[in-house]
Amino acid sequence: MSTQLDEYLEAEIQSLLTDGRIAELGITVNRREHHLVLGGEVESTQRRDAICLQINERFPDVQIVCDIGITRAQAPSEVEEIS
Amino acid sequence: MIRIAAVGDVHVDKDVLGRFRPALEELPDRADALLIAGDLTRHGTVDEARCFVTEFGGLGVPVVVVLGNHDHQSDQQARVTDVLTDAGITVLEGEATVLELHGHRLGIAGVKGFGGGFAGACASNFGEREMKEFVGTTEVIAQRLEAALMSVQVDALVALTHYAPVPDTLVGEPLEIYAFLGCYQLGRAIDATPAALALHGHAHHGSERGRTPGGVPVRNVAHPVIKQAYNVYQLLSDSVDSALVAN
Repeated sequence: MSTQLDEYLEAEIQSLLTDGRIAELGITVNRREHHLVLGGEVESTQRRDAICLQINERFPDVQIVCDIGITRAQAPSEVEEIS
Repeated sequence: MIRIAAVGDVHVDKDVLGRFRPALEELPDRADALLIAGDLTRHGTVDEARCFVTEFGGLGVPVVVVLGNHDHQSDQQARVTDVLTDAGITVLEGEATVLELHGHRLGIAGVKGFGGGFAGACASNFGEREMKEFVGTTEVIAQRLEAALMSVQVDALVALTHYAPVPDTLVGEPLEIYAFLGCYQLGRAIDATPAALALHGHAHHGSERGRTPGGVPVRNVAHPVIKQAYNVYQLLSDSVDSALVAN
């Protein structure tokens, strides 16, 4: 039986994202008709790839689309004056 | 004029080494100190703390931090704090520090903070023991922040927390989790003091700017919110470099 794209699956993936290994609390999971879209940002490409790999391994029959970005880390060009 | 750089939620581990460093090398030209609003590490291990020190240490300007919930994940927060302190980084938890900058005294008081929610949607110190411990923890931490803020006589005072003191800077997060992202008690503590600025992190999908009910500017400096290595804020403005100030 194929895995249902329901809210229990979404909750299980959120639980997997926040377990000891991945430890990412800022990833969004959006259910579409036939696939799941992962969003948000992480600090490295290795982290993004590890997240997608672990979810794919845990739910091999679920189509995952990974839209997770890497947070930019350039120096700022502006100063905000606080008043 | 004082310029402070700030960021939070950098979640350093081996895979992050080198990502921030180029921007940090430029920091002494842009700001007088760096404040980091918690979640320095990914799992709160000593090894990750060492990685954080490698990336954020030795900048040539004072570095002042609070820990975040990630830094508590491995129950090694005391050892993490030791690694940071040994590297010359000031770790605040219910304390304040004073930096002498350009003839001004900048005070920074910090706590990690905790959840609980905001007016109309907050947890109450009532019922089960676990609930009372949860809200009691929030209340004690907020009291410690207020006492720390009031413990210094300075020209400019900054409150540094990981959890949010206002809901304004949580906009973008699901309403259902606001109570896990901050609490009104931190805002009330800040409003009881002459704080000029409150900085926090934790809310990766939140908004950058807000104010406490008492009017203190609040900035969410979580790295995914500011989308650059750090923001720079100018306090005690007596002269402005127009080339650097946003229009």
